[in-house]
Amino acid sequence: MNALVIFGLLAVLMLTGMPISISLGLTVLTFLFTMTQVPLESVALKLFTGIEKFEIMAIPFFILAGNFLTHGGVAKRMINFATSMVGHWYGGLGLAGVLACALFAAVSGSSPATVVAIGSILLPAMVKAGFPNRFGAGVISTSGALGILIPPSIVMVMYSVATNTSVGALFMAGVIPGLALAATLGGVTWYRAKKFDYPRQPKASWAERLRTFRESIWGLFLIVVVMGGIYSGIFTPTEAAAMSAVYAFIVAVFIYKDMGLKDVPKVLLNSANMSAMLLYIITNAVLFSFIMTNENIPQALADWMLGNGLGVITFLLAVNIILLLAGNFMEPSSIVLIFAPILFPVAVQLGIHPVHFGILMVVNMEVGMCHPPVGLNLYVASGITKMGITELTIAVWPWLLSMLVFLGVVTYWPDLSLWLPRQLGML
Amino acid sequence: MLNRILNHLEELLVTFLMGAATVIIFISVMHRYLSGYDIPGLQDWLLSLNVGWAQELCIIMFVWMAKFGAAYGVRTGIHVGVDVLINQLGDKMRGKFIVFGLLAGATFTGIVAMLGAHFVWENGAHYAIYNALGIAGEELFEGPITPDLEWPTWIVYSAIPFGSSLMCFRFLQVTWSFIKTGELPHHDHGHVDGLEEEGAHVEANPYNMDDNLHMHDLKHKPLGADDKKGGQQ
Repeated sequence: MNALVIFGLLAVLMLTGMPISISLGLTVLTFLFTMTQVPLESVALKLFTGIEKFEIMAIPFFILAGNFLTHGGVAKRMINFATSMVGHWYGGLGLAGVLACALFAAVSGSSPATVVAIGSILLPAMVKAGFPNRFGAGVISTSGALGILIPPSIVMVMYSVATNTSVGALFMAGVIPGLALAATLGGVTWYRAKKFDYPRQPKASWAERLRTFRESIWGLFLIVVVMGGIYSGIFTPTEAAAMSAVYAFIVAVFIYKDMGLKDVPKVLLNSANMSAMLLYIITNAVLFSFIMTNENIPQALADWMLGNGLGVITFLLAVNIILLLAGNFMEPSSIVLIFAPILFPVAVQLGIHPVHFGILMVVNMEVGMCHPPVGLNLYVASGITKMGITELTIAVWPWLLSMLVFLGVVTYWPDLSLWLPRQLGML
Repeated sequence: MLNRILNHLEELLVTFLMGAATVIIFISVMHRYLSGYDIPGLQDWLLSLNVGWAQELCIIMFVWMAKFGAAYGVRTGIHVGVDVLINQLGDKMRGKFIVFGLLAGATFTGIVAMLGAHFVWENGAHYAIYNALGIAGEELFEGPITPDLEWPTWIVYSAIPFGSSLMCFRFLQVTWSFIKTGELPHHDHGHVDGLEEEGAHVEANPYNMDDNLHMHDLKHKPLGADDKKGGQQ
């Protein structure tokens, strides 16, 4: 009964359009004032201690690192490298777009920024080379979402915060699905380009490849700093995030020289703005899940599912549908913070591995970024391509469909995610 | 005028906290590895330093950054909500819902500020202030201190009342300017620097996407709101 009231209130408050963090907080306050004996002081304390964990502090650091490298110059280097590697195959520039998006998204950590950065440089070039506008728009808007699966990923840190799963293991688990999804999107691009005989680029020489690689390696090395640092045990995930922020600063200011020292305060302020927004949602989501646990809602849900004989397959199907629906209305961080604490205990009781469940959620979020009504990637892409949302929806469907198939594979084939961290002894 | 000073202070504080926390963690990691090398002089000096407090200081700085940054975020319009439904409504109704949402924000942050102030007062501020004034009673609670830095927690936790009050004030400010001008602050999630020279800079502003699905203020007419031709562009 209480559960229904809580969720009903949350849903109503959210639909009025107020910030998600505020609707979470107001739900909790209403509940506390009217329905429980939990002392209010403990809530005030939780507002502070809710984010008083060193693991959470990886989020601002990763955002800062990403913001230093979210720059047109970095995007251009990634595109040059990608084009020199795969440009001569079918769908050349399209394939290069997938690769460049994967690289830039991993480094910048933001899907919409990836679509803007790669799209506004590559799309005009694609149109000039003779690709239809729709083809380019479809490739870029879906590939831009790759960033949250390829480490370092902020959504994964959110999941690990919500469920106490190891960040390092999640990052490692994301590597193979991330590459596989990039390959899937590339495959669709290649197939369609071959079918419609789209133009190819002249094959680049090895000298050219080496030159573009040397230019882009500084940015890409960020991934190595994070993953290598965590895996070898040199850094904790949060320290790795801080080191990657310092590294990104050095690369952006002293090596690439895309920005001067005078631009640094602006980057710091923007990152602080973004991080504070996410941390504010985390604070209120922690309060919310505190109430949920207090009311034993996840436990009741788990018992109900087990009592009705619902197995792993049905549960995972239900999870996918719920998350895809939620993806219609909310952005990834909020979805993970609200749904992970509720669904996670059920998943654990059913014997689903926490890391696998995390990757499944992240892939779901990725799909949600690319479909209407509110997939942010689509709207950003619509801004660049000057195409309407309806037309863009038609443009992305081949890639979106392949992403949904891929989601099915990730859902029911745990080893795809778990193999690498197991081999590395992280599980 | 006063408002501009407040704006500057707020921006300066969050910028400083973000940068300083990064530098502190960087130094503490460097310290850990450099003190492992046998460099005469340097090693002894490094070993004599204790940076065990770095982690705690970083957490405190980020929590402060989060509280004041959230207030700054109200001013920049970064706190987004689910607005699919209300954007289907007519301008007048939507305006009412937006005001309701903003006032709800002000209410929540106001209540939190009060709860936080009470908590801070009971956990040491009362004692410390009365002590400083020389009128301390015996029965007052001195309050706990943080484990590494040994700072009184009430000072650390005062980020909640201060940050939340500021955020409440910002919500009221945005409400006021929305009622007066019909404009909301905008945050551009897809902003990328360094694209200008391509002549392809785009304003990927979710508030200004000319559709009925994203948050927009009353100045930006959604599709088909005004002209009868309407439809997709």
